[in-house]
Amino acid sequence: MATIIACYKWVLDEQDIKINPGSLDLDTSRAKSKISDYDRNAIEEAVLQEEKTGAEVASLTFGNSKAKQSLKDALSRGPAKAYWVNDELADKADALVTANVLAAALKKIGQYDVILCGEGASDTYAQQVGPRIATLLGIPAITFVSEMKIESDKVIATRKIGDCTEEVSVSFPVVVTLLPEINKPRIPSLKQVLGAAKKPTTEWSIADLGLTTEEVTAKNKVKSIKGFVMSRKNVIYKEGTPTDKVASLVASLTKEGVL
Amino acid sequence: MSHFLTEEQELMRGVAREFAQQEVAPIAKQLDATHEFPWAWVKRCAELGFMGVSIPEEYGGVGAGVITEAIVIEEIARESGSLALIIDAHTSLGCMPLLHVGTEEQKQKYLVPAAKGEKLMSFGLTEPGAGSDAGGTKTTAVLDGDEWVLNGSKCWITNIGVAETYIITAKTDPDKGNRGISAFIVENGTPGFNIGKPEEKMGLNNSLTGELFFNNCRMPKENLLGQLNKGFPVFLQGLDEGRIAISAMAVGMAQGALDRAVAYSKERVQFGRPICKNQAIAFYLAEMATKVELARTMLYRVARMRDEGLPYTYEAAMLKLYSSEICCEVCDKAVQIHGGIGYSRQLDIERFMRDAKLLTIGEGTSEVQKIVISGRLLA
Repeated sequence: MATIIACYKWVLDEQDIKINPGSLDLDTSRAKSKISDYDRNAIEEAVLQEEKTGAEVASLTFGNSKAKQSLKDALSRGPAKAYWVNDELADKADALVTANVLAAALKKIGQYDVILCGEGASDTYAQQVGPRIATLLGIPAITFVSEMKIESDKVIATRKIGDCTEEVSVSFPVVVTLLPEINKPRIPSLKQVLGAAKKPTTEWSIADLGLTTEEVTAKNKVKSIKGFVMSRKNVIYKEGTPTDKVASLVASLTKEGVL
Repeated sequence: MSHFLTEEQELMRGVAREFAQQEVAPIAKQLDATHEFPWAWVKRCAELGFMGVSIPEEYGGVGAGVITEAIVIEEIARESGSLALIIDAHTSLGCMPLLHVGTEEQKQKYLVPAAKGEKLMSFGLTEPGAGSDAGGTKTTAVLDGDEWVLNGSKCWITNIGVAETYIITAKTDPDKGNRGISAFIVENGTPGFNIGKPEEKMGLNNSLTGELFFNNCRMPKENLLGQLNKGFPVFLQGLDEGRIAISAMAVGMAQGALDRAVAYSKERVQFGRPICKNQAIAFYLAEMATKVELARTMLYRVARMRDEGLPYTYEAAMLKLYSSEICCEVCDKAVQIHGGIGYSRQLDIERFMRDAKLLTIGEGTSEVQKIVISGRLLA
C-alpha cells in the first residue's frame, strides 16, 4: 500500500488583501489564511488515490505558529494525519528554504512513496518547491501533471507540456506536481470538520529536523511589496474621420514609446 | 472580523461559504424564476450536514450547536434566502420540538432521518384565525380508541408537500385556551391529511408555503408529541429557536445585499468617477455595514445564550426585530444604489429585496416582537 504525502502552503487569502490607495502598501492585517488553491488539488488527489487504491495519506506543511489553524482544515479534507514544521522563519522563506524544510521533514517521516504538491503556490507561484524537494531527496519529479494513477509501485501520469501531452511511468518514490485541472477539490462535510480534531498531528521545530539556521534562512530578501494599480489616461479621440482618429492614436502611442 | 468563534466554527463557516459560492450562487437567480423546490441543493445540504447542524450526533445530526447552525444559515442566505428558509423551517421549527419533547422511539423514527436530511420536516401552528395567538387554534384532535382524529386546517406552512413529517398543533381541550393545546406528528400520506397548492408569494420563490387540511385525519395514539395539553410551551420554545434562525437569514441576506451594493458602487461610473466616490453613496454603505455587523454580533450572542442553556426569549425577540428590519433597510438601500438596473431582473439585487420582506413577518411580526420585548420590560 502506497504512502502519499500531500504538501501544502498556508497562504493569505488574496480576496482579503487591501491596497492602500496612496502608498500602494498592502494591508494584510485583516486577511485570513487558507490552504493555497493548487495545494488543495494535491490534497484532493491524495484522497482520491486513497479511495481508489487504499493508500495512506498524510499532509505536510511548513509555516509559522499561525499555520496551526491549517491542520484541522487540511485534515477535514481527508488525510489521516498531519505533519507541521513550525518556525517563524517560514514568513521569510523562499522556495529553496521551503524545499529544504519539507525534504528534511519527509526524511524524518521516513516512509513516503508519492509526494504530491500543487504546481505553484497561490501567493508566489514560483513552481520550484516540488522539483527542489525531489532534487534534495534524490528522487524523480513529474511536473505539470493533469492526470495520474497509481499502479502497484509506480505512478503513471499525463504531463501537459505546451501544446502536447506526455505520459510517463515512474517508480516510487516520486514527487508529483499537479495542475489544477486534475480534479475539483470537494467541500468537506461539517462532520469531517469536527472529525479532524480527532486525527493525529505531529509538530516539529527546525531543530527537530536537524537543520541549521543557515539552511532555513533565505538568501534573498523582499525589500517591499506594493500593489499594482494601472493608471489610465482616459484619452478619447473624438475629432475627425476614423482615419484621423487612428492616426492620432498611433501618434500618441508612438510618443509614449509603446509602438 | 473576529466574533470570537472557535477554530471549528470558522472552518464550518468556510464549508457553508464554499458551498454557497460554488453551488448556490451560480444558479440562485435562475432557480428563483422557476419557483421550483431545489431538491439538488437540499440533497447537497444533507451530504454536508446542514440539515441537522445543531441536532446531537446520537440523533443523526452534527452536534455543532445553534451558533454553528446560525452561521450555516447566514452563509447560505448570502446567496439564496429560499434555501436558507428551507433549512430553517426543517431544523429549528421541525426538528427541535422532536428533540426537546419527543420520546426515544419518536426521535429514532422521525428525528434521525430528518437530521441526516433524508426526510424533510415542517411545522404547522398558524391558522386562518391563529398564529402568534396560538390560543385561537381551531384545529381539534380527539382521541377515538387508539387513534387521534384531527380536524381543521393550517396556513402559511413552510416546506409543504416536500416535507414527509409535520409537527401540528391542535386543541385537545377546547375550554382551556393555551393550556388545551397539544402537538402531533403527522406523516405525509396519512388518510384525511391533504396538502394545498403552494401560495404565490412576493419572494422566497423556491421555498414552498401553503395550507394543510385535516379531515377526520386518523393517526396512532403514539403520535402525540410531548404531554397532552402541554403543546403551547413547546411551540413558544420552537418560536424562540426559529427567531434565531430567521435572524441568521436576515444577517446573511443583508450581507449579500451589502456585498453586491459595494461591488456595484465601485464599478458604476457617473460623472467620470465610480459612484462610491460620492459621499451620499459611501455613507449609505457605511450605515448598511454598521447595521449588518451589529445584527451579526447580536445573533451570535443570542445563539450562544441558547447553546449555554440560558433564557433568551427576550433577546431573541430583540434580535429578530432588529435584524429583520435592518435587512429590509439594507436591501432597499442596495437597490437604490444600483439605480435602474437594481429594479430590473437583470441583476440579483431585487430578489434580495423581495425575499427580505418575509423576515419582518414570519416567526412573529415586528409588532409581535415588540409585544414580547415590552411585556418583559414592563413586567
